Amino acid sequence: MSGVQVGKRIIGADSPVTVGWENIGRVEGGPFKQFFFTWFQPAVLFGLIAFWYYAPNEWALASIGIALGLGFKVLLLGLEWINPRYRSWQLTWKEFATDLFYVGLGYTILRMVDSYIGDGVMIEAVQNAFDWGKFSWFTGLPLLVQALLISMIFDFGQYWMHRGMHNWHPLWVTHAPHHYITQLNINKGAVGNPVELFLIGLGVGGFFDFLPRAFLLAGAIGMAVSTYQHINVRFNTPRWWRYIFNTVEHHSVHHSQDYEATRSNYSGTWIIWDRIFGTCVDGEAELLGMEGGRRMDIGETMVYPFTEGYKSARAWVRKRLQLTEAAGQQPEPAE
Amino acid sequence: MTIALPYIDRIWRAEGSVIVPEPLTADEAFTRLDPLFQTPGTDYAVERDTLAYTKRNPAAQDKLATFTRGSLRVAQQQDGTLRVFFNVSSTALLLCFLAPLLFLAFAQIMVTVNAWDKVAMEAAEAAEGGKAKDEEKDETKPLSKLHPLDQMLGAPAPEDPAKKKKDKDKEKDKDKDKDKFDPTPAYVLAGLFFVIYCVGRVLEPWLLKRTLRAALSAQHGESVSGTGEFATPQPDAG
Repeated sequence: MSGVQVGKRIIGADSPVTVGWENIGRVEGGPFKQFFFTWFQPAVLFGLIAFWYYAPNEWALASIGIALGLGFKVLLLGLEWINPRYRSWQLTWKEFATDLFYVGLGYTILRMVDSYIGDGVMIEAVQNAFDWGKFSWFTGLPLLVQALLISMIFDFGQYWMHRGMHNWHPLWVTHAPHHYITQLNINKGAVGNPVELFLIGLGVGGFFDFLPRAFLLAGAIGMAVSTYQHINVRFNTPRWWRYIFNTVEHHSVHHSQDYEATRSNYSGTWIIWDRIFGTCVDGEAELLGMEGGRRMDIGETMVYPFTEGYKSARAWVRKRLQLTEAAGQQPEPAE
Repeated sequence: MTIALPYIDRIWRAEGSVIVPEPLTADEAFTRLDPLFQTPGTDYAVERDTLAYTKRNPAAQDKLATFTRGSLRVAQQQDGTLRVFFNVSSTALLLCFLAPLLFLAFAQIMVTVNAWDKVAMEAAEAAEGGKAKDEEKDETKPLSKLHPLDQMLGAPAPEDPAKKKKDKDKEKDKDKDKDKFDPTPAYVLAGLFFVIYCVGRVLEPWLLKRTLRAALSAQHGESVSGTGEFATPQPDAG
């Protein structure tokens, strides 16, 4: 496989990756289907922004946000059924049950653990340590500007954490199980080792004081964009959308079996961070996963960072010891 | 090793049969079923009229992904028809059956932590003799104003923090009994997994029958692959 040169890198040398927007698939079907799957994403985004912008204060609650998010996911599961991107990604009973297990962990035990050691606790500690009141000017900004800044700052933090995971082995072993997924659907974002889910959830957006409505707007933007990164639906995503936002096309490249391709498209919502930092690859891929598409089961996912971490640490110590021994055995240099 | 657990093993085991649509020998029937076992991580062996297989963590799209162990036996019926009898078991079904227990356990942990939390809070309050209450900061945040642009566009103004605080104080006594962790999601998930198990217990054996029927009626050269879309169709030998 020859691959395609993108910048200084060769993408698709190990496994097929379609590079370039002009080469990716389009929605097949009549004019209504074309219209629906072209404008669905922007309509939902602007609809949600309008809803949270004008909703009375009694409605502007996190619980309503969560309920909307759940309803939205059910709707998207329906769309995956109607118009799948790839039939090879189609949801099966076993995959659904497995994914729901990870989603369930997030809503129960991980939420509990997170309340003791998660970002909320850290943010509170940091906020108590400094006079963050200096940042109160933030609440005077227009609501949408606040929302955009919260969303972008949070995603900026996620971008670097994610990039760090792909570049530093101790972080990589926590993230690797998520890369063993062999197909995408909306629940796949929850699939991974809990340590990774905790790390990726750490954000810096929360340090600012903001209006609750701005926070809900930021959540709506995140939901109406980043949910699609793991979706198995074929969209005719508008050109402007895919220029600024992350899409399933970008994220499928990131999950490809091609090593170089996985080292791209790190952002969750704003693909412009990848464009700015030179890691964006526009395209899509169908063959996903690691080790030729080996599926990782729940048991291995739970222990992988620890078993791999132990192996790596042992290998590192052995290598160091051998190097020391070898250095000790070197003959004296000739004078 | 197979443990005989009559009735109980129906939780994870499925039995049944499908009719072979045309007169075939056992070998010919197994040849048609062969593509289902030509997938990574699959071990199988045919002995006379019986095929036994195991699959280690099969791919998501493997047609036998749910039933990872079992046997297929070809037998001629008294009326002369040929049937493939299957007896298969599924770790996924068993784990799904047990998943509600796990989420009920999570709910129980939350209830226990809530109870501890309440006791600890009451003890702390009693020790401080209500001091904390007096010293509680009475500061309220200054009233936030909307940006003129938002006012012009008609966004609802933020609530007055002073009024909000009053409402909060009123509700405080109500909230006193509120638990730190809400176990409802854990109960909902336990219920969901029970429903998913019931669906899977009916759906998956039905899909297995459909897969076996499709494989057995496949014409020479057609491939009913274990991994669906990634399969390369066999070239027609004719």
